Amino acid sequence: MKALTGNRLDDGEVVFWAAGGWVLQFQDAELFSDPDLAAAAEGEAKGQTKVVVDPYLIDLIESGEHWAPLSYRERLRALGPTNHLGHGKQVEGGAVLEAIAAASGAARSTGRVNLIKRK
Amino acid sequence: MYLYDAIDKDILADRTQEFREQVARRLAGEITEDQFKPIRLMNGLYLQLHAYMLRVAIPYGSMDSRQLRMLAQIGRKYDKAYGHFTTRTNLQFHWISLKDTPDILADLASVDMHAIQTSGNCIRNVTADPYAGATAEEIDDPRVWSEAIRQWSSLHPEFSFLPRKFKIAITAAPKDRTAAKVHDIGLVVRRARDGTLGFEVMVGGGLGASPYIGQTIKEFLPASRLFSYLDAILRVYNRLGRRDNRTKARIKILVSSLGAEEFGRQVEAEWEQVGPAGDLPDTELARIRGAFAAHPFETLPTQSEAFERAKAADAAFARFARNNLKPHKKPGYTIVEISLKAIGETPGDMTSDQMDVVADLGARYGSDDIRATHEQNLVLPHVKLDDAHAVYQALAAAGLATPNINLISDIIACPGLDYCALANARAIPVAQDIARRFADQDRAELIGELKIKISGCINACGHHHVGHIGILGVDKKGEEFYQLTLGGSGAEDASVGKVLGPALSADRVAGAIDALVDVYLRERQGEERFLDTYRRTGVTPFKEAVYAEAH
Repeated sequence: MKALTGNRLDDGEVVFWAAGGWVLQFQDAELFSDPDLAAAAEGEAKGQTKVVVDPYLIDLIESGEHWAPLSYRERLRALGPTNHLGHGKQVEGGAVLEAIAAASGAARSTGRVNLIKRK
Repeated sequence: MYLYDAIDKDILADRTQEFREQVARRLAGEITEDQFKPIRLMNGLYLQLHAYMLRVAIPYGSMDSRQLRMLAQIGRKYDKAYGHFTTRTNLQFHWISLKDTPDILADLASVDMHAIQTSGNCIRNVTADPYAGATAEEIDDPRVWSEAIRQWSSLHPEFSFLPRKFKIAITAAPKDRTAAKVHDIGLVVRRARDGTLGFEVMVGGGLGASPYIGQTIKEFLPASRLFSYLDAILRVYNRLGRRDNRTKARIKILVSSLGAEEFGRQVEAEWEQVGPAGDLPDTELARIRGAFAAHPFETLPTQSEAFERAKAADAAFARFARNNLKPHKKPGYTIVEISLKAIGETPGDMTSDQMDVVADLGARYGSDDIRATHEQNLVLPHVKLDDAHAVYQALAAAGLATPNINLISDIIACPGLDYCALANARAIPVAQDIARRFADQDRAELIGELKIKISGCINACGHHHVGHIGILGVDKKGEEFYQLTLGGSGAEDASVGKVLGPALSADRVAGAIDALVDVYLRERQGEERFLDTYRRTGVTPFKEAVYAEAH
């Protein structure tokens, strides 16, 4: 399972792909079980250069009854910083955010790998 | 302090307007992200995990109350009412919108501040002794030279696209509070027997993936020849630096591969070519020096009765005085260190309200002079001993009176994976865990000077290589692990720490620090610091203590 993420151009906010547009919370993100559909969405997202910066696909894992980003870096992006729990998306609360916080998968983030490759 | 003239102000106004137009073009889609990225970086704007980050320059860590109040105001208006002081004595805002950035730059320009050269392959903010002008140890005021270098290096056409970034530190005291030996150039002010002012010039220091201690290429450079010599160093580096390989592009790699002697020889040859025409005219230096004219200190008795009475009556103040007040060159004055390392808080973070408190204290009691240190603390360099208790009480009310300067909880930590797009692991929670474990101030004072420095990746913004105990966050198949190094120092006795053993999981780090401290307390002799004991005993007892359970 995958989701598509990036940072919004005008304010840098973490956003997730949903039905051709972007949403702020992972719980509202479109999840892809079909890799071809995911790749097609990524291609479309990369064309939205006035909206989002460097969109990329992330891998997901099951966490309880919900899906959560596999890499720790992506879980931090979906939640917010751990030193200021009043900052970031985690403020909103809810079952999906709790599932992300409780997830324990480990892998390198595609975003991080892309960043290193670009350098 | 140095005040901007009309030309400086015009340059900032032009630069802000230019960036405003560039942002508008980016938002309109007229330029691509690849085209825009170097532009925004030249204005200190990074895109990190959660938002844009704006890095504001605090030249040689020196600011006045008006500027600190503006940073507080920007924090409230455009961020989440706080900022983060860095190991480069800059301030980072971590929740910035691209669309707001031109207005922020305009606000900064209104108080003679900016974010120019806080990123990119150029000469970055100069690091200077935060006790400049206040310590009796110094030979000359390093701010004079720092400001001259700031003016020389700002928008320097020849040195704006170097092979990699370039950092200069200046200290004029035997006690190095700038980490000069791990800068690309470290300048130590010296005075010759005949009274001539000059510099010892060290090059090729640096941290990152390949740490090096700087090597002296000139024992005594007459101060009047500083700028032609800097020109020569930068030209040799610009010509020979490894632009083909980013990981080998810093000057430290060039100096290491050529050898300091050969590098110095090439600099001397280039210096001949540059000649005295490359030096700063005496009149210009005098103009800059005038901005740092000796502060009009009052004539006061060495001992303050009010100060002594307050210490006797208030044990918490006495502890603060022991740890956070430092000797001043003038009788009746003290240097006040303000710790941004409250137990359990984020190292270097400061709320806008706290910035306002320090700005007020600086204006009222501190000659309107406020410094940022590379250890992520602030300093009020000129406070009367008579006023020290009042300053302490105001700091304590704002949560800023943690009495831990140079102690185990005075930890340097980079923002790490909580914010930084480059990080492998978090640094802040590790610092918080360790600080909580050593929250007992009596125990912290018993342990004495112990510098823990934490980086969330090998780029080493948290200076882990030169921590007495260094902690490096590493990524093991996506999991956070931490590699410990021992025996580093960024001070005048600079050294690069050695790896203790296999990396530890996050939950084992604070316990490992405890084990290291226990070994130190068991082994130490006399007045030895942790670092001294480690250097005497070697790594074995420390390693055994941390990895005992694995045997």
